[in-house]
Amino acid sequence: MESLKDFLYTMTSCNHCGQCKWLLGPKMRSWKYSEVCPIHLRYGFDAYSGQGLINIAQEILEGRLKYEGGLIELIYTCLTCGACDVNCKSIRDMEVLDTILALRAKCVEDGQGLLQHKEIAGKIDQTHNIYGKSHDKRFDWMPKKNKLSADSSVAYFAGCAAAYKYPEIAVNTLKILDASGIDYKVLGSEEYCCGTVLWRTGQTEAFRKAAEQNMAVFKKQGIKTLITSCAECYGTFRGGYPRFVDMDIEVLHITEVIQKALTESKLKLIKKQNLTVTYHDPCLLGRLSEKYVPWNGEIQAYGVHVPPKPWRRGTNGVYEAPREILKSIPGVKLVEMPRNAENSFCCGGGGGVPAVFPEFTKWAVMERLDEAAGTGATAVVSACPFCQENFKKTSNEVLKYFDITELVAKSL
Amino acid sequence: MVNKPESSLELKYRLQAILQPDEISDRPEVLEKYTPDISGSKSRPFMVIYPGSKEEVQSVVKLAVESGTPLVPVSSGLPRFHDGALPEKGGIIVDFSHMNKIRQINIPDRYAWIEPGVTFGELVPELKKQGLKLVSPLLPRANKSVVASRLEREPVIIPKYQYDFIDPLLTLEVIYGTGEEFRTGSASGPGTLETLKADKVNPWGPGAVDYFRFISGAQGTMGLVTWAITKVEILPSMQKMYFIPHKDIKVLADVMNQLLRKRVVDECLALNNVNLASVLASSWPDDFKKLKKDLPPWTLIMCLAGYKRRPEERITVMEKYLHEICAGAGVKPLTELPGAAGMENLIPELLSGPCPGETYWKLRYKGACRDIFFLSTLSRAAEFTAVMQKAAGKHRYPKEDIGGYIQPMVQGRGCHCEFNFFYDENDKTGSEETGKLFSDASAALLNSGAFFSRPYGPWAKMVYARYPEQVAALKKLKGIFDPHNILNPGKLCF
Amino acid sequence: MSLPSDIYSAFEDIVGPENISDKDYVMAAYRHAGPGAGGREKSPGPAAVLLPGSTEEVQAIIKLCNRRNIKYAALVSLFAAGRILQPGMIFLNLQRMNRILEINETDRYAVIEPGVRHVQLKPELMKRGLNYPTASVGPGGSVLANFIASGDHHMQHGASRVNRYLLSVEWVMPNGEVLKVGSIGNNAGWFCPDGPGPSLRGLIKGWNGWSGSFGIVTKVAIGLDVFRGPKIMPGEGHSPDFTVRFPLDRHKVHIFKFPGYDKLRDAMIEMGKAEIGFAVLKFFYATECALTTTSANEFFEVWNSGLYQRDLPFALWVYLATYSPEEMQYEERVMWDIVKEFDGQAVDESIRKKYDDNLDHMFVIVSNLQRVLRLGGGWAGTKLGGDSISQMFEVAKTIPEYINEFIEKKWIIDAPYNYQVVPMEYGHMAHIEMLSFFDVTQPGHPNVMMPLMQRSAETDVKHGFHTATPMAGNPAHGPLYSNFNLWVEKIKKAFAPMN
Repeated sequence: MESLKDFLYTMTSCNHCGQCKWLLGPKMRSWKYSEVCPIHLRYGFDAYSGQGLINIAQEILEGRLKYEGGLIELIYTCLTCGACDVNCKSIRDMEVLDTILALRAKCVEDGQGLLQHKEIAGKIDQTHNIYGKSHDKRFDWMPKKNKLSADSSVAYFAGCAAAYKYPEIAVNTLKILDASGIDYKVLGSEEYCCGTVLWRTGQTEAFRKAAEQNMAVFKKQGIKTLITSCAECYGTFRGGYPRFVDMDIEVLHITEVIQKALTESKLKLIKKQNLTVTYHDPCLLGRLSEKYVPWNGEIQAYGVHVPPKPWRRGTNGVYEAPREILKSIPGVKLVEMPRNAENSFCCGGGGGVPAVFPEFTKWAVMERLDEAAGTGATAVVSACPFCQENFKKTSNEVLKYFDITELVAKSL
Repeated sequence: MVNKPESSLELKYRLQAILQPDEISDRPEVLEKYTPDISGSKSRPFMVIYPGSKEEVQSVVKLAVESGTPLVPVSSGLPRFHDGALPEKGGIIVDFSHMNKIRQINIPDRYAWIEPGVTFGELVPELKKQGLKLVSPLLPRANKSVVASRLEREPVIIPKYQYDFIDPLLTLEVIYGTGEEFRTGSASGPGTLETLKADKVNPWGPGAVDYFRFISGAQGTMGLVTWAITKVEILPSMQKMYFIPHKDIKVLADVMNQLLRKRVVDECLALNNVNLASVLASSWPDDFKKLKKDLPPWTLIMCLAGYKRRPEERITVMEKYLHEICAGAGVKPLTELPGAAGMENLIPELLSGPCPGETYWKLRYKGACRDIFFLSTLSRAAEFTAVMQKAAGKHRYPKEDIGGYIQPMVQGRGCHCEFNFFYDENDKTGSEETGKLFSDASAALLNSGAFFSRPYGPWAKMVYARYPEQVAALKKLKGIFDPHNILNPGKLCF
Repeated sequence: MSLPSDIYSAFEDIVGPENISDKDYVMAAYRHAGPGAGGREKSPGPAAVLLPGSTEEVQAIIKLCNRRNIKYAALVSLFAAGRILQPGMIFLNLQRMNRILEINETDRYAVIEPGVRHVQLKPELMKRGLNYPTASVGPGGSVLANFIASGDHHMQHGASRVNRYLLSVEWVMPNGEVLKVGSIGNNAGWFCPDGPGPSLRGLIKGWNGWSGSFGIVTKVAIGLDVFRGPKIMPGEGHSPDFTVRFPLDRHKVHIFKFPGYDKLRDAMIEMGKAEIGFAVLKFFYATECALTTTSANEFFEVWNSGLYQRDLPFALWVYLATYSPEEMQYEERVMWDIVKEFDGQAVDESIRKKYDDNLDHMFVIVSNLQRVLRLGGGWAGTKLGGDSISQMFEVAKTIPEYINEFIEKKWIIDAPYNYQVVPMEYGHMAHIEMLSFFDVTQPGHPNVMMPLMQRSAETDVKHGFHTATPMAGNPAHGPLYSNFNLWVEKIKKAFAPMN
């Protein structure tokens, strides 16, 4: 993985245009909900933004800025949601989010990482899940009647959140896979945490270890396709793993699987549900889900990247699949929030923030729920257990929350 | 202040050293022209000068500074309706009528470079010869100075060509009250007028200050303008007039707003029956009386235009929009002038230049006229008309004798509202009552939110008394550009 | 350099503890250069940043600054913000003052605070069929800052610079008192900037603005025009490959090439006289290439093909936007009459067609101007002046006199025709700007902004051309421009004696 110095080009070419903070022009809809960066919206000072963080990164790299009280907190308040990154890349050839992640890695390297994140790393190391729960119970959610294909090269990767906190997501996912006629297996006791929080809190070595461990299992079990129901796992396998391991495995989110099955008429959604819903794009399923392709080139004069760099600009995030699925459910009406797809506003659950700044997480999800309520929807739907965690904590009878697998399973 | 004969004599000698013999006069009959009776002013000028060049103006200003002599600039001929050119504190009238050169008419870039003495009567035909058109106020006096009109931000009758309230004034050369010369916008430099390669049509700046705005609406209190550049437009190759009669100005104001949003029409204004009759009548008083009776309460006058290429096609397209908008508003545009059938053919000519005839149109009815005018938005024009009528009623001025004129400005984003009170100067009671009505109505309008953007005469006191912070800022400006207060003292808030 | 604690406390009392910071790491976001210079150059940064929430707070801050002799500058977005040049200065970031106070659909004006961004105001106006002239800075730019600080934009052929659309203003003067300029100062609504009497609006802005150094404007009314496009932004697809399609029977971009400067100029003038075209301009050709490609590499693929150099040095962009298909057909016929008369030809269809798919490349709404910064981040605008169309083309003819040496040294991209001439008010005046791209990230590439401005200014002065570069680049040029510098000093002394 690149280190902070590898992003000097990004740091020195920022012109403070502000696009990292504001909605993209073609997506503008109203005065309200026009800001995309949660920390900038909440705290106001420009240091709290993609631009500010890359300025800070540059000054830390150059030794101009000391780790004084409050700086680390600022750096770790960022949700690493990547809204700044994708918006910047609509106009520039810069790596804003990777610079922020490299800044966090530098903080950890300098012994400045946060205790709460170290504790999570410890839990992952010892119990292979983020909650510190017994690894033996990881597959307690698994219905006994399910038929697994031991020889299948397709595996469902449940992830920590579904395995321990929201088993219904995993159960519904299997129902859908069964209904779609897909042969699959699960990794059983060999499924370990994907390591997303390690990556996004700058705990690079721990993340490398997690990636190597999981990759070894995938290889050993002959996995060619990995299906996830968790946006964090999905985005981490696609965007994080290739930085450390040779990730030659197809990774699919369950929404992609469902969409394909619907298109091929292998899956039918029959039961009507009278609901007006709005879809919340999880960061790592949407704008941050494009596959990372390592690039070791040179940036020549006038920004020419030699050889050409494969950019991750958020263009090919998983945006349409969940929307097509929702539109296919009889009785479901889909309405859009002003900030959607690559401009989706983070629920507040990313970047290890909930563990350290729960009040900020709560503020972010309230902002998002307010936006959702403004659409006239009666429910928010998403496709990530971490988003679910935040929405369920705060949503109420007026605005329900559903994981997309639940709605699909109910319609089978 | 130099008002005493002994010091004025010395001043006269010194002025004679600066000016040509025909550029100076203190003959009583000449001085009389600059002190009309209606002003009520007790103060009189003791000299009139007619400078012929910028250098002469500069020398005169420097002399005025030295001697503390007020200078009152005048550019237009008689009669004058506002007392901006009256010497409140005596002094010298600087009459610019000798500086009357049309320095340049530029066809491709559409501007005219003129001195302050150039009048509508001179410039309009000169432009017409070259296929150009001067966007003018409604029926300006033939002897009215074009530069003065532009400086005073007078409304013009083609609002689509106006992008702000100071448009179509572009740049100017000014002698400040310090005697220093300044050129605004792209006339500022680099270098001298001789070395500058610019058409001098960019009005803004130089730098972060819009100097031309300080001179506008200043009634000569901020500087003496020695030339200015104004926009001119292409003379249409085809025109088609339309009229909409209506009893309610609110409806017509809305139609004008809609038309100007899409820039459907060129000339666009609304006159009430009194004013339209005054403009059209040829034999008095019979014609006038009949027209006043037959004309609708308000008439919206519009002109569609086509230019050099495919003029018929343009007019067809615009006609379609006109009919759509009118249908939406429940009115019908007519090609005949309602209440004055056959006279519609007179309108294009009337709108294309200065007021024809010996007597100015506002003076034809009763010999004298007091105008109340201010700015607002089209959406409020009807509201102010009601305020005006109420005030007239209080003073028993016949409602049916009030002249009314609504002129959209700046593509309909604002409008000039004007009401005219005609009276007989020989009828002392009537004159006094009109004077009282003028004051009361002005106050009522001001209280209702009318914007007296050009506060002539008594309006200045009324307007500025309410806004001390604006007065303080204006006095700072005055202190910069006319630190000795020699330029038209006693005007505005100075 | 941080503020003395008693002063900090006094500021804190005004804005509240959440809205002030002097933390070194918070200041880091303001120490890096804005457009044109890139992050390689740094400033001392402010001593503190304050986020006032009201006019009253701004007044209190200015008064305290005056009492304690603290220099300040106001900003909203940082894109064009003047850098802090003196240690100990403070920034007033006005982003919290972000209300749209009024949109008057009938009288066509909007009243806004400084923190309102284009991306916020535009959609609210589009819903109502209205729009305003927009100097291009991207969606996050402050609308008020645009109106106060800059002027020209790409849609001004049938409109004007933003200067004409700046209506009444609420201004906190350098002494901390509020002055309401124009009709609003007379309780007569926001519609008019001028009067009563001499127009104080002249203090707020001339050709350009004061860059936040002469009091702080806290509210403005801006004039609105009818928007001929859809009510909702028709953006489709995903970044950066959006489409923004308008109905082609009422909105169409044409691009024509002409044999040289003079015929291009004459065609432009005739379009204005005919009053056709919503936008007509000779556009920057390299900038266009940067705006319509999605990476520096893609830019060079297109640029190095030579197509732009063949078709666009003397090209006229004509955007027809009409209220009906019939009007479109009429304008197209007149347009072709003019094009043929001056020997124009349509350029390669691949260049033109991009606008069918994304009309916002034409800056119709907010566009994505920042794409030009992709070519190394360095961006030097020279000339930046205004006068007649004829004069602007005379200025353009002399560009090679100063630009070629920079191209030969490879300090800027080889694009000698990367200038634009944008007429306004149907050709009554025009604006010129030469845009040069340089690389702020590469060692060995000097920051050529100042040298370019200096050489451009010398050329202008030599020829007697009125452009803004000399004034911007060298205050010593004042005597050449009617001694305007002396009047500026007098104005400053009268209104801001403490500065």
